[in-house]
Amino acid sequence: MKRLTVLACVAAMSFGPGHALAVDAAAADALVRKSKCFTCHHKTKEKDGPPFAETAEKYRGKPEAIEKLIKHVTVPSKVKVDGSEEDHETLRSDDPADAKNVVEWILSF
Amino acid sequence: MFMRRESRPWRHVVAAGLLVVAMASGLAQAREVNDVYIEGDKVCTRCHDENEYKPVLSIAQTRHGTAADGRAPTCVSCHGESDTHINKPADVEKRPEPTINFGRKSTTPVADRNQVCESCHQGGKFIHWQGSQHSAADVECGGCHTMHTAHDKVRDKATQPEVCMNCHKEKRGEIRRPNHHPLAEGKMACSDCHASHGSAGEKLMQRDTINDTCYTCHMEKRGPTVRTHQPVMENCAICHNPHGSVNDNLLRQRPPLLCQQCHEPTGHRGGIPGFGDSRGSFNSTGGMGITQGRSCLNCHSNIHGTNNPVDASNERTFRR
Repeated sequence: MKRLTVLACVAAMSFGPGHALAVDAAAADALVRKSKCFTCHHKTKEKDGPPFAETAEKYRGKPEAIEKLIKHVTVPSKVKVDGSEEDHETLRSDDPADAKNVVEWILSF
Repeated sequence: MFMRRESRPWRHVVAAGLLVVAMASGLAQAREVNDVYIEGDKVCTRCHDENEYKPVLSIAQTRHGTAADGRAPTCVSCHGESDTHINKPADVEKRPEPTINFGRKSTTPVADRNQVCESCHQGGKFIHWQGSQHSAADVECGGCHTMHTAHDKVRDKATQPEVCMNCHKEKRGEIRRPNHHPLAEGKMACSDCHASHGSAGEKLMQRDTINDTCYTCHMEKRGPTVRTHQPVMENCAICHNPHGSVNDNLLRQRPPLLCQQCHEPTGHRGGIPGFGDSRGSFNSTGGMGITQGRSCLNCHSNIHGTNNPVDASNERTFRR
């Protein structure tokens, strides 16, 4: 019984809210601000880009989410804003761990 | 009723079609944005909101952002129309900066940046700005002042010295000497003596001369007195280092060395003290040991000037 409880705790930490605990929210928030992501995105409100909460909802439970979003925030691309094409700028960090942390932070909304 | 609805299934098709059209048109339409704090700011606050790396909306907590004040500027008043910043041209890779941009990486000449401020802030205490030391040194208003914050450090006396001493680094050391004006203690600020926006006097003094500025607090030194000590009348800074000194009373040097810069070392003024013997002194020069521990001020205690009428034969002694 005790062993089962431990296993359940480990499983919960791996897949539940414990997963979010691994995210360094302060570092992610600082890097997102520094990279001027908030110029077009907001955590919850509508701006020119989708809110982070909407992105998290869209990718919730999808295994390819992290990989896809890391590419989106590290590789320059084009996005549509009010019908016109704009450059989607990338994170101001070359460290892959930073990008992963930011993506996991966005998915935690 | 149920039958009537069922009898017209095309209604559902039309409703669904309308919904699709509405959604499609909604996506195509520009997002509706509103002004946040002052009329016309939506062109900027559409992107620049409370999440900015350098917060901009906090200007609403300052006089510049007081919507009820008709003189308050809008974003465009200070930053210009900034057309290419708002609508990035297709042929450029990086979004151009606003027409007038501020800060260390600014591409706008300092004179143009300051002109923005001078368009409102003129006259009064800014009357001497043109040609002043700071103006001549191309100091930007934003170099000292921070606009988009409720707390402009240079306008708070407790934090003002930090801002000034970013450039005037030698003063940072001087105000920490054993004898100093109480800036570090927060009892004074640089602006108590200096007018950073320009002054009619030297050293950006608040008053027309250094002495007049000193007398605003040290009025007992002003006189007039019957006997005057000429350097006192000329410039307090001849003897004192106002920011700080290792000597008592902010003196530039320790007496008698300070006094001997003017008073020639003859007679007792150059004497080296010694323990008196039958000849009155015992030192290598044979001079009289009457300098009383070498502090001229032990006897000449009214050095700033005296009204003592008694010693008419030696009226420049400034003894009590």
